[in-house]
Amino acid sequence: MDDFQSGDETSFVVDEVSSIIKEAIESAIGGNAYQHSKVNQWTTSVVEQTLSQLTKLGKPFKYIVTCVIMQKNGAGLHTASSCFWDNSSDGTCTVRWENKTMYCIVSAFGLAI
Amino acid sequence: MAEQLSPEMALPAQVTAADNTEAPLLRATRRGSQPPAPARSTEEGKPPLLPSRRSSILSTLPAPLASRRSSLGAAPGGKRPSIGPWMLHSRVSFSGLPLFQPILRTRLENTYRMGPDEGCKFNAGRVQRVLEGALASALGTTVYSPQGSALLAQSLAELLQNQVKEAVPPRYKLVCHVLLGQQGQQSLLVASRALWDPESDSFASATFSNASLFAVVTVHGVYFE
Repeated sequence: MDDFQSGDETSFVVDEVSSIIKEAIESAIGGNAYQHSKVNQWTTSVVEQTLSQLTKLGKPFKYIVTCVIMQKNGAGLHTASSCFWDNSSDGTCTVRWENKTMYCIVSAFGLAI
Repeated sequence: MAEQLSPEMALPAQVTAADNTEAPLLRATRRGSQPPAPARSTEEGKPPLLPSRRSSILSTLPAPLASRRSSLGAAPGGKRPSIGPWMLHSRVSFSGLPLFQPILRTRLENTYRMGPDEGCKFNAGRVQRVLEGALASALGTTVYSPQGSALLAQSLAELLQNQVKEAVPPRYKLVCHVLLGQQGQQSLLVASRALWDPESDSFASATFSNASLFAVVTVHGVYFE
């Protein structure tokens, strides 16, 4: 296993991941209003679609994708994450999306193998 | 010979100014070949032309190496910057010198270990207990405030990560995700999915709520081979 210099193949590219996540959100909950019965299904499909698209990139990474969907009711929400990893090879991308009735926050973490 | 030397004399001129007392051998000969410095005249007693010529042309490679070696023993760091970077660009720097090529990743020795040791896996139950205890003690009676809660979430993430770090076995990378929200009449769902090795990697999560806020914490542990 030779040393290789960091290039596109081996580092976490934030823009690429961000666009993947946005696509997944749009296709899963694009024009829908909040419905309690469907939220479970929505989160699952957002996360699954994001993960499968990330896998198709073919990079040597383990991925963790987290999705939060919250109904818009005037309450405040904060998310924070702290990671213990290798800064040079690992990365994260968080996408915030909203429509009139709900917020959706998706975080994707990529950890180099 | 003298003309060849003079451009190079300009280079180490600042070097000689920096340290007059201790000078590695090759560099001394290069300097000593023109104006005879009294301390270095002994080295010049050896064939003067050969070492000086060698030092002026070939010193591009050997001299800095020798100087690097000797300066490691002699330790003054001031000499290095003047010649080092250009001569050493083909070398991996272990002393923080700037390189012109992209820096190669440091190569660690192979430990031949592909999975966690027996009994040393990510213990989800233990981590969950740690998280619950830490959340309760950190957020016991805190009241939600829009300005303060952002900082609170960040500090909570770091605090929890530090505590979990002590509870997991080594060689595990951690991702700690904290969600802090105001307690209202809304509904919230948190989902996560991961692509990993199910035998060695796992996650733990905990929730906490009081009258004004709620918190959801998820910690994923991924084995790093």
